[in-house]
Amino acid sequence: MISEDNTLISLYYLVAKGRELERQMTKLPGFHPGVGEEAVVVGSFFGLSDDDYIAPHYRGALLAAHMRGAEIRRLVAGVLGKATSYSRGRVRGDICLPLKFNTLGMFSGVLGNPMSIATGIGLSTKMKGNKGVVVTSFGEGTSNLGAFHESINLAACLALPVVYVCHNNGYAMSTRTEYAIKGASVANRALGYGIPGVQVDGNDVVAVHQAVQMAVARARAGEGPTLIDALTYRISGHYSADANSYQPAEEREAWLKKDPLDRIKARLLSRGALNEIQIAEIERSVVEEISAAIAEAQNDPDPDLDVLGPDDLYCNDGLGENAK
Amino acid sequence: MSNLTFQEAVVAGIAEEMDRDLRVFHLGQDIGPVYNGAMHSAKGLGERFGPARIIETPISEGAMMGAGIGAAIGGMRPIVQIMFAEFLGLTVTPLACDAAAMWYKSDGQTCVPLVVRVLFGAGPHRGHSEDYQAWVASTPGIKVVMPSCPRDAKGLMKAAIRDNNPVVFFEHMGIYHGSRQEVPDEDHVIPLGKADIKRQGTDVTLVATALMVQQALKAAEQLQQQGISVEVIDPRTIVPMDVDTVLSAVARTRRLVVISETWKTGDPLSDLAATVAEELGGDAPLRIARAGLQNTPRPFAMPLTRAAMPGVQTIVETVRRVMEPK
Repeated sequence: MISEDNTLISLYYLVAKGRELERQMTKLPGFHPGVGEEAVVVGSFFGLSDDDYIAPHYRGALLAAHMRGAEIRRLVAGVLGKATSYSRGRVRGDICLPLKFNTLGMFSGVLGNPMSIATGIGLSTKMKGNKGVVVTSFGEGTSNLGAFHESINLAACLALPVVYVCHNNGYAMSTRTEYAIKGASVANRALGYGIPGVQVDGNDVVAVHQAVQMAVARARAGEGPTLIDALTYRISGHYSADANSYQPAEEREAWLKKDPLDRIKARLLSRGALNEIQIAEIERSVVEEISAAIAEAQNDPDPDLDVLGPDDLYCNDGLGENAK
Repeated sequence: MSNLTFQEAVVAGIAEEMDRDLRVFHLGQDIGPVYNGAMHSAKGLGERFGPARIIETPISEGAMMGAGIGAAIGGMRPIVQIMFAEFLGLTVTPLACDAAAMWYKSDGQTCVPLVVRVLFGAGPHRGHSEDYQAWVASTPGIKVVMPSCPRDAKGLMKAAIRDNNPVVFFEHMGIYHGSRQEVPDEDHVIPLGKADIKRQGTDVTLVATALMVQQALKAAEQLQQQGISVEVIDPRTIVPMDVDTVLSAVARTRRLVVISETWKTGDPLSDLAATVAEELGGDAPLRIARAGLQNTPRPFAMPLTRAAMPGVQTIVETVRRVMEPK
């Protein structure tokens, strides 16, 4: 009971932290926030081991990298292009994450690439025989790309240890899911690959976590990939300046009642795992931590021009210090 | 020494590296012991190394490329065969947009030791001849190898496999099962980025790759009879380009001819010609001429195929152009 309570408290803490991070980052220009989708992020990447890799959806990517050990201040510095970021300002940090934490991001703005590359990381873990798995997430819009089909089909053929988690948030920018996906669900697409397709309540962090962990166990046992379809809702816009006026008011209201942060809080309270005072204290500390990290990052210096590195095109002598 | 064809030399290079380094593996369509790869490009590898290291895939070039990139990030040294250069387009976003950028953008947190094999060029099969080399050569971070003979093919393949960066390795179908050459059996590695002077000459510097090197050597013989001495340089790798070797040669001859089997527009050798003009132009008279594939899609019928690309006669005429007084 206590260990179960502890897991729930950890999940709650991360969802709360993610919410505050997304909320504050939305105020910065050009950010792609994931307010409302934190339960999918936390549920997907909680409880993995150090040998495992993740390749998260760009929405909620900072929280995912932080869960693997990256510092929030340095991640935010990456969003701002500061010298203190993990790439010293060479890559946009909102979508591209520090690989030293076994966390693959987007090295371009092309959706689908992380999915096929994550599949390849799964191939390497299988070949090395270290029982590592890869958990990768993406939006339902990406499930219409060829990369989705080719990657999952290849993973199924080679029985690769990869878990594919779809943030099915109802919208690809402004394109509604029911317009762009004519099958019954994203989970249903798994039928075509001969692998399990699991639909899960994406606003229930515990349900997502359990579904992903079952798929992870299956992958570790050499039984191949699983596709998880996590139904959620994008409360924020596609990016900072998007007022998401295309979301019907009634639909939005209905989803706001299913807010993932409220739900895990209610669960903790009803179990008596935490009381109102403790919850208020946690949320106060989260606001403080995120505010401080963002303020620090904002005050960090811009990169010097030596970061330009015109001759740093190839890896000549193997990986250097920054890979550690 | 072994007397090998181009195809045998490439496969020998791969097999030696797979023996030397257990992280090296090969992934592709129909590369196993049943089919042995298109044009026997993986002959014997499936039987020798088994399905754990010679991995056959469904038709899915984009995912195959992603699989190679991911496996490289994960610590393996993959060789991905996507069969024909014509299929490069299916793989360009993971390769050029992501993999090529990873070393630089991650600030050294990862590198991508990946070899991508493609067949190309006008050959016996009357198809799949397009090379689209500019698509990969124009993106910083991808190395591009284009050997012209069995000896270079083996040494460059071994270097490509040992390289820590994405390397696209072009294998010309017109010379694949062609004439044999003595190829060293010992650890024969040719560094990427080092040109080879295939023929010494004093009047004109000619730069060509793959099949065009062989044609250029024939043209140089004919021109010698006419009293014109042609130096033939094979850069062997299009990226990185051994600009220094070409510059020092042209500094002597003051005449440069580049011959390509690809279109002149966006041709890496056109870029080379521009660099030579930039570096050496203005000091003294400098003559430059180019010949390449006709600027249309490649025609099919054999006489049209031959006429659309440079042959020995075109090369002779192009060289004569820079010898004539202005």
